[in-house]
Amino acid sequence: MKRLLITGISGGQGRLLAKRLSEGWQITGVDRVPWEGAPEYVDVKTLDLRKKKFEDVLRKNRPDAVVHLAFVRHFRGSNKLRHEVNVAGTRRLLNSCARYGVKQVVVLSSAYVYGALPENPMYMDEDSPLNVARNFPDIRDLAEVEGLVSSFLWRYPEISTSILRPVNTLGYYVHSSIGSYLGLDIVPTVTGFNPMLQFIHEEDVCEALALAIEKQLRGVFNVAGPGAVPLKTAIHEIERRRISVPEPLAHLIIRELFRFRVYDFPPAAMDFIKYPCTVDGSRFVKATGFKPLFSLRDIFASVA
Amino acid sequence: MLYLNKVAELAASAIQSGMSLSSSSFPGLPFADLSRELSDKIDQLPIELNEYGYDPWGFNPDVLKTSMMTAAILYRHYFRVVSVGLDRLPPRRMMLVGNHAGQIAFDGAMVATAMLLEASPPRLSRGMGEYWLATLPWLNVLMDRMGHSIGTPSTCAEMLNRDECVLVFPEGVRGMNKVYADAYQLQDFGLGFMRLALETNTPIVPFAVVGSEEQAPGIANLESVAAMLNMPAFPITLTWPLLGPLGMVPLPVRYHIEFGQAMHFEGDHNDEDDAISRKVEEVKDSIQSMLRRGLAERTSIFL
Repeated sequence: MKRLLITGISGGQGRLLAKRLSEGWQITGVDRVPWEGAPEYVDVKTLDLRKKKFEDVLRKNRPDAVVHLAFVRHFRGSNKLRHEVNVAGTRRLLNSCARYGVKQVVVLSSAYVYGALPENPMYMDEDSPLNVARNFPDIRDLAEVEGLVSSFLWRYPEISTSILRPVNTLGYYVHSSIGSYLGLDIVPTVTGFNPMLQFIHEEDVCEALALAIEKQLRGVFNVAGPGAVPLKTAIHEIERRRISVPEPLAHLIIRELFRFRVYDFPPAAMDFIKYPCTVDGSRFVKATGFKPLFSLRDIFASVA
Repeated sequence: MLYLNKVAELAASAIQSGMSLSSSSFPGLPFADLSRELSDKIDQLPIELNEYGYDPWGFNPDVLKTSMMTAAILYRHYFRVVSVGLDRLPPRRMMLVGNHAGQIAFDGAMVATAMLLEASPPRLSRGMGEYWLATLPWLNVLMDRMGHSIGTPSTCAEMLNRDECVLVFPEGVRGMNKVYADAYQLQDFGLGFMRLALETNTPIVPFAVVGSEEQAPGIANLESVAAMLNMPAFPITLTWPLLGPLGMVPLPVRYHIEFGQAMHFEGDHNDEDDAISRKVEEVKDSIQSMLRRGLAERTSIFL
């Protein structure tokens, strides 16, 4: 049986993927936090990606494929932590992959790398510039990770490397920024703004990752879900109350709340509820035949 | 707010949106018939919506029904628009290209209304907005819901590839804010629209609007003031800024809109500017000759 290594296996997406691929693969997972009650078909090692020990896992296991999910995506920690885990961690992982003969690497990025800008075209393709760092320095590391992975992709043509950029992911297991935002008791929106947002269910992201592995995908791919709705429609469908805050006030409040860690979103994240960041997922569909199983209604119902 | 032009745009959109004027929910009020007609036409639009009633770019027919009501009233009762040539529109994708004038873009609203009320089947013309419109609260949302978008080439190409109808004024502010001495003389055309038409194999429908120049004749355009206020133009008209906001009300001219025969172009969309320019000139000539004919046939500016 072929061997698969999943980093960040204790996160929601890691657990889903381990289950999805448990039939055909011998799975090893690593994570900084343990997975309590992990099924016996997964060998979970609790260790830090940034530590030397992590390399031993690859040396001993010699996985055929690696799925890299170990990213800090929230803003609760410091920027330093984010940078270390996301950028330094990815660099270390890729080096080890090259050294120990991994044949396939899949990295889960996100559509946020394009950034939410007023002049964004709707439905950006994979060749669009990664503008997120321009106005949102807090997630600059995501763009850096993409840079690392794409140079790896070109440097090692014998390794099938792919980057997936799914849109706003919702579901029961996965903790996403958009999920926690929409999960607030009272969801703040910016007065006079109501951009179109694309959503995808966590199980469909899992399916996309599995397809990337099974089809030995190589390249960069947006993963779009069933469609887009205005932000306020999404909030309404998830049955949350909404408060509309005028922009200057919103900026001030969010900045202060974030400073005292009452609220997990840096002010720059506000652009994502003002301007569109929508992507064209047709390249991935063409390459894999992917078809999202969950409709918009299903997605909202799963988190309502 | 500093940007008077933005205020003007906002006012125009507020007038155009005219939520309170909508009579669809108040049968028996004046314009109830017009409201019903507009509503029926919008229901016939060949546009696919998702389960929440939106198209991929954020268009929502219910918003359009109320927001186009003022434009429809202006179309029938204020500008009393006479439209010809709508029977020869191409059936699927198309790019409407025409002259721009009158300080405030009532010409765009009237062309869009003609496409809704008089074309068969009715078509939604999608305008391509300036980037800064996306930063204006409310207006950016209204724009999306009415089927328009920020004018990036890729969004425009995507819309055309999905057989939509896109409305373009290649003169931009150069046309809209010119002085009356230059009335009905086409200003420089941008080349972008032709590249997009070639890339997406879209027929171009030239149109000429007669009447828009007289709705608010420009006496001067104070470019230095505009630059100082960071606006695209600072027009002086007979009534603006003399009468304040009231000065933005257009004169009750009669509009004549002629839609010409669709023009098909072939060639490399990445060709040199000169080659693209020659094709653009053909479109420009077609519009200019329709303008000339329209002006010659016009017997009165107001009647």
